[in-house]
Amino acid sequence: MVVGDIATGTDVVVIGGGPAGYTAAIRAAQHDLDVTLIEKGTYGGTCLNHGCIPSKALLHATDIAQQATDAEQFGVSFDEPEFDLPTMIDWKNDVVGQLTGGVEKLCKANGVNLMEGRAEFADENTVRVIHEGAGQGGETVEFEHAIVATGSRPIEVPGFEFDGELVLSSRGALALETIPDELLVVGAGYIGMELSTVFARLGTDVTVVEMLDDVLPAYEDDISRVVKGRAESLGIEFNFGEAASEWTEDGDGIVVTTETEDGETTEYAADKTLVAVGREPVTDTMNLEAAGLSTDENGFLQTDEQLRTDIDGIFAVGDVAGEPMLAHEGMHAGEIAADVIAGEPAAFDNRAVPAAVFTEPEIATVGLTEREATDDGFEPIVGKMPMQASGRALTMEESDGFVRIVADEESGFVLGGQIVGPEASEMIAEVALAVEMGATLEDLTSTIHTHPTLSEAVMEAAANALGEAIHTLNR
Amino acid sequence: MTYEFELPDVGEGVAEGEIVSWLVEVGDAVTEDQPVAEVETDKAVVDVPSPVDGSVAEIRADAGEMVPVGDVIIVFAEDGEETATDEEPSDAPDSTGEPASDTDDERVFAPPSARRLARELDVSIEAVEGTGPSGRITTADVRAHAETDESGSEPTQAIESVETDSVPATSASREITLAAPATRKLAAEEGVELNAVPTDKTQEGEAFVTPAQVQQYAQSQQAAQAADVAAIGAPSGREERIPYRGVRRTIGQQMEASKFTAPHVTHHDEVDVTQLVERRSTLAEVADEQGVSLTYMPFVMKAIVEGLKEFPALNATLDEDAEEIILKHYYNIGIAVATDAGLMVPVVDGVDRKGLLQLSSEMNELIEKARERSIAREEMQGGTFTITNFGAIGGEHATPIINHPESAILGLGEIKEKPRVVDGEVVVRSVMGLSLSIDHRTIDGATAAQFANTVKRYLETPELLLL
Repeated sequence: MVVGDIATGTDVVVIGGGPAGYTAAIRAAQHDLDVTLIEKGTYGGTCLNHGCIPSKALLHATDIAQQATDAEQFGVSFDEPEFDLPTMIDWKNDVVGQLTGGVEKLCKANGVNLMEGRAEFADENTVRVIHEGAGQGGETVEFEHAIVATGSRPIEVPGFEFDGELVLSSRGALALETIPDELLVVGAGYIGMELSTVFARLGTDVTVVEMLDDVLPAYEDDISRVVKGRAESLGIEFNFGEAASEWTEDGDGIVVTTETEDGETTEYAADKTLVAVGREPVTDTMNLEAAGLSTDENGFLQTDEQLRTDIDGIFAVGDVAGEPMLAHEGMHAGEIAADVIAGEPAAFDNRAVPAAVFTEPEIATVGLTEREATDDGFEPIVGKMPMQASGRALTMEESDGFVRIVADEESGFVLGGQIVGPEASEMIAEVALAVEMGATLEDLTSTIHTHPTLSEAVMEAAANALGEAIHTLNR
Repeated sequence: MTYEFELPDVGEGVAEGEIVSWLVEVGDAVTEDQPVAEVETDKAVVDVPSPVDGSVAEIRADAGEMVPVGDVIIVFAEDGEETATDEEPSDAPDSTGEPASDTDDERVFAPPSARRLARELDVSIEAVEGTGPSGRITTADVRAHAETDESGSEPTQAIESVETDSVPATSASREITLAAPATRKLAAEEGVELNAVPTDKTQEGEAFVTPAQVQQYAQSQQAAQAADVAAIGAPSGREERIPYRGVRRTIGQQMEASKFTAPHVTHHDEVDVTQLVERRSTLAEVADEQGVSLTYMPFVMKAIVEGLKEFPALNATLDEDAEEIILKHYYNIGIAVATDAGLMVPVVDGVDRKGLLQLSSEMNELIEKARERSIAREEMQGGTFTITNFGAIGGEHATPIINHPESAILGLGEIKEKPRVVDGEVVVRSVMGLSLSIDHRTIDGATAAQFANTVKRYLETPELLLL
């Protein structure tokens, strides 16, 4: 302890107030444990402040504009949409503020002690909370259990340090006050694709360069193809097999040089560039070594099924504890860690974590693909329902995409699903439930789905796998 | 390469065996011929040796399970490859978010509620048989498994949790350990294997162990044992539950079968063995010179054979199905032996055809084997009559239970000096109690008494054995 520090004790200290951390803190408090949540920025973490929520707000706002334009074909005409970006950003900030304020209130209402500052371990039972800036002093918190939930941050490409002006991270892009005429996006992963969509709809000329040879390399070809087609129709240009190597200022703008594997270089001029090549765990702020913690070769804290690290009493949840770096995974892990600390027989034994990409159209997946199922020793059967055959999709003029269900042939157990199409992020919940429950194809096909809705496509795809589909030809 | 090990025929013509206990766990390294399991058949408990150098990849039978000969009970990974469990801890959590321990080849289909219940009840969900569609596991299945499995897997689960909670009883397994002579002495006193003591110290490149580490390890081992006991016993500590299986259960079943089948009558008598005591001490010196320890037992066996020849009904078996009494014209005498595992009855064959010295050495050898549990199953079969020498521990009379399907058993009391009237004078004589139990279905009380008289005559006047 440093002289002058104020020392307190607590049952559970949670480091980081993002989705994983605040969920863990609230659940632990619900277990009547004394909980201290330490946050150095704003409650809600990346997701609420700089990720999922602001990006979805902007995607929605710009989607309205897009729909207004598209409505002409069914006889509804508007004038050309006009964008008032500062208003849009204010509205987005209001949404974010409402949610982060809600998180803070929920924490307090559940009896969580909130502390502001950066936490660092002093030893395996103590953290120091350092208040940055004026005042300097610190506080020492002794804990029985610690839950590390420090999250992740965008990876910086060497030479492309984020400056908030010309070289933007996703966070910077979501806070822009003016619409750039030209935007170069480095990286065609889900963040790059979502933000490209936002800016393309705002009228920006968007060019995407990607080191690999396709958009959304983590997804199957027939899925990424649908999204890429729609992105191109929004005017987004793609250049594959190129890595950003350096940039120079050019007047008010930027010129980025890319290089192929063969050393061929290309120069792109733009107002700004957005670098979205992935995220990395935040582990360098909290003096891990003092607690005896260390990271694995990918920089993550390793945990077991009960989210315990190697050090007794210290847990890790959320992005800092490894892939997949998804808010809902972190929230579930946060609950489990708190339950485990409270002595409940909880474990993160989930079969599958759903994932969604809010492109146009959306992508959502859960569980195993056909290939993964084969690799895992199953003999999978697959059923597909194209959105073209969905009455509801046609009435929405949103007939790109499909629902695919993967199941074990012998038992009929649903192993996974891939959806690309309108509201895919909502539809995937049913498939996730099926995978988690150990439901069979028959369970899905025997459940009556509302007509006319998009969710019927899940039932139809399951029926297609069984060779019993009515609205598609059984393959 | 993995090696699937089938339950071998551990005794002649054995069709099945009971796994009494596993001596290894999944992931343990084993060397060829290292015992991996105790398997019990009939009355023998035998160690099953590992056929290979390698490690244990999988254990397919639970302790207490009856396994037919030829069934795979354990799978070894031969040296040069790691077992699945060796690999798991190094696995990073994979990108689909599924926990590293979830190996998909053993994926079970069960809703989260059932999986949680399984953890709550300490049930391995992989072991639960699902009754839902396509074998999906329901919460009811988990409960049913927990109830039927109460005696089986639960104690081990409890032990595990006790150990992980409080007792870090980890062991090392080195080939070479350096230590000061005083440390080695301490280890010997504590009953601790030096190569098993965990250490992070080295000297000249070899592991080095300090006295403090030995102490600590010894304490953790004791604590782990105490935890084992506590885990098996009742939580209050006023009662204890120990498994009724293995040799103990076989003995129990055998006793039950005998006592409920054969109506027992026990005939008590006393025999003056003063002469026998004298003769034996003289002969024992001679036997000693030949390296044989001569006890009273061979004399008793010989006397019994004389009695059996005269009264063959006591050397018989009742064949109830055929409604016939089988009289045996061979004399194989079983000796009841108390061992750590329980009662065992090695059999000395052809007692009528062997001399005292041969009987002595054969019997001593068999008893030794029984105590070491290295006795073969066939060495405990084929008996026609049994002797139980409870007097070796103490007591004059008892009511022995017949070693079914034999027809009689003779219990020997302690040889004591007592005042006896000989030729009208009270003198000190060596006296031994006899307790003869017979199957009253085939043997009358009079026959039993006559048999006892014959045996007595030979024991009182051992010279008669020479005739």
